[in-house]
Amino acid sequence: MSNKLYYVCKYTPIELLEAFGADCASLNEMPEGFEHADQIAHPNICGFGKAVLEQVISEHVKELVIVNCCDTIRSVYDILADSGKLDFLYIMDMPHDNGSCGRERTVTQLKGLAKAYSEYKGTTFDEAAFRKAFRPKERLNEPYISVLGARMGNELFDVVRQTMPYPVENDTCVNNRSAGNEQPPETSDFDELMDWYAGALLRQLPCMRMIDNTGRKQLYNNPNLKGIIYHTVKFCDFYSFEYAQIKREAAVPLLKIESDYSLQNGGQLSTRLEAFAESITAEWQKGKEKKMGKGYFAGIDSGSTSTDVVILDKDQKMVTGIILPTGAGAAAGAERALEEALKEAHLQREDIDAMVTTGYGRTAITEGDKSITEITCHARGAHFLDPSVRTVVDIGGQDSKVIRLDENGAVVNFVMNDKCAAGTGRFLEMMARTMEISLDEMSHRGLKYKEDITISSMCTVFAESEVVSLIAQNKDTDDIVHGLNKAVATKTAALAKRVGGEERYMMTGGVSKNESLVKTLEEKLGTTLVVDERAQLCGALGAALFAMDMVEKD
Amino acid sequence: MAVVDVFGEKVEKLSNTNRTRARWLLKTGWEAQNLKFKLMPDKRLIPADRFLAGMMMDAMLKPLQCPDQCAVVSVFTPCELLQEVGLNPYNTEAMSCYLSASKVERSLLQQAENSGIAETLCSYHKTFFGAAQKGLLPRPRCIVYTNVMCDANMLTFRALANLYKVPLFSLDVPLQQNEENVLYVAEQLKALAAFLEKSTGKKIDEKSLSQRLERSKRTLEKFGRFQEEKADRYIPADLVSPLYCGMTNNILMGTPQEEKFVDMLLRDVKKAPAKKGKRIYWMHTIPFWSDAVRQELCFNEKAQIVGCELSQVCEPDFDPADPYMAMAHRLVYHALNGSVNRRIEAGIRHAKQTKADGVVWFNHWGCKHTMGAAQIAKKKFEEAGLPLLILDGDGCDRSHGGEGQTSTRLGAFLEMLNGDKV
Repeated sequence: MSNKLYYVCKYTPIELLEAFGADCASLNEMPEGFEHADQIAHPNICGFGKAVLEQVISEHVKELVIVNCCDTIRSVYDILADSGKLDFLYIMDMPHDNGSCGRERTVTQLKGLAKAYSEYKGTTFDEAAFRKAFRPKERLNEPYISVLGARMGNELFDVVRQTMPYPVENDTCVNNRSAGNEQPPETSDFDELMDWYAGALLRQLPCMRMIDNTGRKQLYNNPNLKGIIYHTVKFCDFYSFEYAQIKREAAVPLLKIESDYSLQNGGQLSTRLEAFAESITAEWQKGKEKKMGKGYFAGIDSGSTSTDVVILDKDQKMVTGIILPTGAGAAAGAERALEEALKEAHLQREDIDAMVTTGYGRTAITEGDKSITEITCHARGAHFLDPSVRTVVDIGGQDSKVIRLDENGAVVNFVMNDKCAAGTGRFLEMMARTMEISLDEMSHRGLKYKEDITISSMCTVFAESEVVSLIAQNKDTDDIVHGLNKAVATKTAALAKRVGGEERYMMTGGVSKNESLVKTLEEKLGTTLVVDERAQLCGALGAALFAMDMVEKD
Repeated sequence: MAVVDVFGEKVEKLSNTNRTRARWLLKTGWEAQNLKFKLMPDKRLIPADRFLAGMMMDAMLKPLQCPDQCAVVSVFTPCELLQEVGLNPYNTEAMSCYLSASKVERSLLQQAENSGIAETLCSYHKTFFGAAQKGLLPRPRCIVYTNVMCDANMLTFRALANLYKVPLFSLDVPLQQNEENVLYVAEQLKALAAFLEKSTGKKIDEKSLSQRLERSKRTLEKFGRFQEEKADRYIPADLVSPLYCGMTNNILMGTPQEEKFVDMLLRDVKKAPAKKGKRIYWMHTIPFWSDAVRQELCFNEKAQIVGCELSQVCEPDFDPADPYMAMAHRLVYHALNGSVNRRIEAGIRHAKQTKADGVVWFNHWGCKHTMGAAQIAKKKFEEAGLPLLILDGDGCDRSHGGEGQTSTRLGAFLEMLNGDKV
């Protein structure tokens, strides 16, 4: 149990609380999961709200000052007040108006909190402690990457910092608090001090809950800014509106990531972050750390369903390309697939001059010389197969992504589906199983549909129950398959729109073999898709091309 | 394929290619529906509810017929000031319900999500925003909203003002109930009056406004009386009438039509037969489109909705002589403002007023306020002797349905209320 007073919002008057003897700390840790919170609240509230509940229930927090930030935080207050678990719990009713009327109301709120905390703590206002509490926060004065948007927990921010090629500033929510940068005026009058202090709190960069938040533009107009990682928290809607605006206005590379504010986000987030770092630096293209030997280069794409290997010779000809099921372990699967590829190409392991791994399992494979995300590799592979391609749609087993590339095959922008399986290969697999047909059969059914069925549920589980009821209504399999294809195509087309997809489009990944889906997606996008017979090998091909880049040519 | 499916598909298709035609088709379709309400009303409903359907449809048509004489409002914006300058409410929540009932909501939701708006945002707001982006809903004269109960207001209305390029007014309502806060809101309402005068070039007469507030007070008192008198009566209910009432009791409060409707209710209730079946009080919005809910509660003598929280959000305890303070009082002491305990206590009071057997707490997707409070509500309602069902769903977006689950939960709850032996 901690003796600290925790706060969640940058408008919390921590300098005032310190003047009454509080030891203030921002509550910004991401929990393992929301086991307790889901029992006393609802799963569909913002993850940060649930994180606060988790911390209180696990008795890490005994003093908490909340601001009426949003509907979730207000609910958290109601739940905590009802639980009686805290020694000190207070909600500040901060105005949404940051003008002069708002300032007056803020003074009232400051005095209300001061009175309540003084009574609880048995202390009085210590002016010297108040002044000492103003500690300016240093900001980076060099090229940097900024994390913007909804609050990012400490643990995820550490991952971001480790991944990015530049220093990173956490400018999300409570983390851009700047009231401490000011110095109180030379007066000992409490009322005067509070009037000034209310102004200092409201002069901070406004958050999205404020009526006037135009000042936020300075967040993305800094000349030192090299890139933006825009973070949203699932079920926090405030920041998606700002993201929609920044997407149109920002002049630097932009990556959007979403977390649920728990530590369970894992793989997908790190793939996105690494791909973003790759797109900013393009460093993998620079190093020529290997000498040319026999002139063979391998790329291994370790996906959730299959492991693909491509071997190229020094003339960029594909010597072999194989696809094997991944099986239980990424490393073992990769080893097996590489052995198979070498056997097919009549080569030995030492004939390979350089090898790059990609895909979900890329870091688990120790054999490679370098690992690069599948996003960068898919773009490179697609560009190699057809240089006129500017947008790659890749629907894989557990995720789907849309990548936009430039005329050199470098990634300009990309977007991936969220954690949910809807719109992925797995979704189609599950539905095929429900309908008791094979994936091959599914690929042809749906071409000759008669009734235009719409599957309205986006959730895989609910969609499955919709399919079951359609089967019960004796609907034709072709019609149901077409409905499912439409659901996947709609989700994919939405991703393409989000990333600003441009002609020509190429489809890669295992699902590119599904003829009826490709047709429906073409209809949704209003264009034709390039589907190369080597489409499934696109990631491994890109990896092999990167392996070739690593080698100094004679 | 049902007529509405064809209509929805046609509007959706046109909205991608020709927004003027799409808007015309939407308006014409709704006008035809209105004609049907007037010429062939649903005879199963009491006369007051038949009148209500037409009144609501009239209100929904105004923004399509004369958008320049309409102001986009959130559902809890006090509309008496708008009425005084001749502006009609162009309400986001109600509009989205009608778009959903017309089966065009899917492409509008998709449009909003494609532009980057969170999938988890309230679907009423998302539908309206998507429709505005597609040009299906025309540009209003101005926008007025409050932050009462709903964060989405702060986001959607700001974005809509940018999109339509129209003036925006926001009413900041504090959480705590005290006179200082009533004054703070009253000052803002005076600024709103000036804003509306500037937007329309019309003057607001304080005496006329006072009379309007008197009408609002009378209407609220009469509605309360109706709910009490209804306690021992059976009034056939569909899923939309309680929801319409939740809307008109807010956005049309202060109008002669709303008072007429309430007068009709008081007349009809005297002729109603003795109560039948189980009586359900509904918290938050109603998923009118759900077959599962319809099956259990629509024109069903065994169980019916006898009241909806949204139609009883404030008490007639204000003084119309000072109209700005009166409206401010209503907002600050609004049942859904402040601690959730106030909302729950009002729900318990109103459910008991109409002798409800059970309560449904509807967790509308995207409404964090409602979802966050669900467990506290369950505890408090049940402590007050009112069984409560927490039902997850969506009032507007069919894709968040889960009809099987809804049917099981609601069915089991009604069996439980009936004490059925399994």
